[in-house]
Amino acid sequence: MTEATQTTDVAGAKPRDVVVITLPASSAYLSVLRTATAGLAARLDFTIDEIEDLRIAVDEACAMMLPQAVPGAEISCEFALEGDTMTVSVSVLTLDGEEPSRDTFAWTVLAALAGDVSSHSDPDQRVTITLRKRGGGSVR
Amino acid sequence: MDPDLSVAIRSEGDRTVVAVSGEIDVYTAPKLREHLIDLVSGGHYQLVVDLEGVDFLDSTGLGVLVGGLKRVRAHDGSLHLVCSQDRILKIFRITGLTKVFPIHASVTEALSADA
Repeated sequence: MTEATQTTDVAGAKPRDVVVITLPASSAYLSVLRTATAGLAARLDFTIDEIEDLRIAVDEACAMMLPQAVPGAEISCEFALEGDTMTVSVSVLTLDGEEPSRDTFAWTVLAALAGDVSSHSDPDQRVTITLRKRGGGSVR
Repeated sequence: MDPDLSVAIRSEGDRTVVAVSGEIDVYTAPKLREHLIDLVSGGHYQLVVDLEGVDFLDSTGLGVLVGGLKRVRAHDGSLHLVCSQDRILKIFRITGLTKVFPIHASVTEALSADA
């Protein structure tokens, strides 16, 4: 795949495209985000199953943060496309700064589908969930 | 924005078939939850939820189905699922819910199973 808008990282080695999508922190927009996720995953030659996994994983990551989002806040989703790997960071300003509980159906689904998932909370109570998935029929 | 989810309810003998189509996510799941609560409140405790028309299901949808199961069980009822789509079944498998719900490949099969 040729890429006209490639950017390079600091080392100048690998091409790395970053797409940032910002949405109101409202459940009504999750279907839009799922569609965008599928479109971006398709660019990395993810298989149909991998695209579906990523679509659900991004949905779960956003959905689990909605209840704690500051009213009127925006959810930011950063998709970094590098080689055969997509890294998605979903973040939102929250009321409590609490990282998501691991003891939920949502986290179980997210972790199983994305493979590599982490979360952190900033001092300003912005919570971020980062998931990384490799495409092309690889194990993860 | 209207929820991209529709729910059709019909009776089949002593069973109630709830045919769901569209996407079940955090936005649309409350609609399904309301239907299940209404059915149980109306004395319908033998439910078959048909997921064949569902394009998307996340953990919010699972939560609603588990809630429905708890409600019917409180009345000695049952909640069977119809689902043959592998990508939907995968979510049930990941969460271990294939052991909780009786899952059938067709409505006919679900209706002929013991309640």
